[in-house]
Amino acid sequence: MVTKRQLGIFVITLSIAGILGVVAVDIFDAGQWSGLGPLQQGGIGLGLGGILVGMILVRLGDRPA
Amino acid sequence: MATTMKATPSRALRSLAILLAILAVVAYVSYLAIYVNYAVELFRWPFDYDQGEGFELYDAILYGQGEWPYRDNATFPFYASNYPPLFHLLIVPLLPIFGPRLIAGRLLSFVATLITATTIFIVVRRNIRDPDQDRMTDWLLPTLSGLGFLASNYVYQIGPLSRMHMTLVMFETLAIAFIAEFEHPKYGTRNLILGLTMLFCAGYAKQTAVFTVAAALSYVFLRDIKKSIISGASLAVVAGSVFWLINVATDGAWWINIIQANVNAFDYRQTLFLFKQWLRLHTLFAILAAGFFVYELFWDRLSAYSLWFFFALGVGALSGKWGAGFGYFTTAIAAACLASGLALGRLRQKVEEARPQITSLPLSARSLLVAVIPLLYLFQAPRMLHLPTSGPVFEPISRVLRVQDDLVYGKGDTLASTHCAPVEYHDAMGYTQLGHPLTSKDHAAGAKIMTYVWSVEGPILSEEAMFSILAEKPVVTNPTQLLNLYNNGLLDTSEIIDHVNRQAFDLVIFRAQFYPPPVLQAIGQNYRPVDHICMNGFYYHILRPSNGSDSGSPLSELPSGR
Repeated sequence: MVTKRQLGIFVITLSIAGILGVVAVDIFDAGQWSGLGPLQQGGIGLGLGGILVGMILVRLGDRPA
Repeated sequence: MATTMKATPSRALRSLAILLAILAVVAYVSYLAIYVNYAVELFRWPFDYDQGEGFELYDAILYGQGEWPYRDNATFPFYASNYPPLFHLLIVPLLPIFGPRLIAGRLLSFVATLITATTIFIVVRRNIRDPDQDRMTDWLLPTLSGLGFLASNYVYQIGPLSRMHMTLVMFETLAIAFIAEFEHPKYGTRNLILGLTMLFCAGYAKQTAVFTVAAALSYVFLRDIKKSIISGASLAVVAGSVFWLINVATDGAWWINIIQANVNAFDYRQTLFLFKQWLRLHTLFAILAAGFFVYELFWDRLSAYSLWFFFALGVGALSGKWGAGFGYFTTAIAAACLASGLALGRLRQKVEEARPQITSLPLSARSLLVAVIPLLYLFQAPRMLHLPTSGPVFEPISRVLRVQDDLVYGKGDTLASTHCAPVEYHDAMGYTQLGHPLTSKDHAAGAKIMTYVWSVEGPILSEEAMFSILAEKPVVTNPTQLLNLYNNGLLDTSEIIDHVNRQAFDLVIFRAQFYPPPVLQAIGQNYRPVDHICMNGFYYHILRPSNGSDSGSPLSELPSGR
């Protein structure tokens, strides 16, 4: 059984990885836009939201997810 | 005295609740009637209604003949399917009954939507049923959840088409219903195996099932990590083995046509537009389902249903892909209808446990909720308004609703430039190419196109397969698939252009000119238009070889268009 805390850690990890991936798109010149494109901005926004949700879940402790 | 005061408004509220419930059921049953009317009309329409229907039927015909539809697109007949096989395989047993006609696929798809709605009904009823609670709501919530799915503008429009979407949604819904009960003390293992089987079927109906697979396995993972790993591995081995076997059997054409051809350009603006439209049309279902997900995430345990809703939004996110559209939201609609019913059921349970009293009124929150639930569904009903605006029944209704002139293609000066005639249909979603009724003029126009097709002996190049199938000619090309492959640099157009240059096709029928640009260019140089026939709101352009002996239209004496 997975707990809220474990789920929160997973969500935070996934969100950070997602943000890094979105930013890395520019490093590999894969994007169509100069700077952060609208999809990247949306991705980073979702990632930050994910981190926030993850942090709340971590605080909920060992309750079953 | 206090008891008397309380009893009177409670009785009045109870009467109001019954009245609202009847109105809500009438509204949603009306949508069901509109849906059945549309479906029956499509069953009688022999041509493509949505571009692509005939190709899906043709895939079934090929399977019936023991052939794969995954082929080399660069050689004659330049045809391949870009969808997995299950929907087409399910049509095969219907072909001896209906013949090679679209009704086989349309009936299958229509029945799939009814099964999905019934499954939603059963799941909601099973989860909210409580002998200590109001019996009317015990029936009302499941009924409106199931009917709500069929009342969706998107489900209505796609439901009776010979397309694989709704078969996919049916298998997804069944999969989630079974997997949600994988911890059942007596039938847990059976439910898990059935759920995984349904997931396999969903995946082999359409590729987007991957989001439901993720939802189902995530749910099992949250509750039983070991079972989820075994389930996921088993599913991956079985699905992967079948994938590999088909790829080997088709010399790699399966991989090219199913995976590589579906990597298309993505327009995030289309996704945002469709998300907004979906939310505007399905507001109640979406908000309640999202609220249910948040509630379970932070205050309760995540259920398979709310997880499914969350993951289904991911399918919607892909709707900006070229060739995608609002059909990508049908899974989210099924999940939202189901989860919203459960959300209201849970709310009712919480209210019953807390038994709050509204202090300013001699009412209980419980009795108030019984009236509020049908009211919410009544609020939702007009948001999805769609109906034909002509005919003895629908014309007066549309007049009363004041939408008889608000047609999806417009009319008169406001007629959309892409269309040759208005259609008598109103839809709250605005412009849409589906959902409208067909007229006797459409049937006559189809017959006229068929006269052109029958007038030639050789193969024809048509953007819709049914003209070829009805004339018992070979189906040549799947234009959107050719364009997909061309855009991905996977199509050698030399042979098809050579055929066009030699004027090997006796007739060309365009509707949207989906062919790759070099093919269109070659057709422009070697064929000339002989007629433009208005059917189903679109112009069908008939072209003949420029150097053909018959330089005139064989039907030039017939009137064109409407």
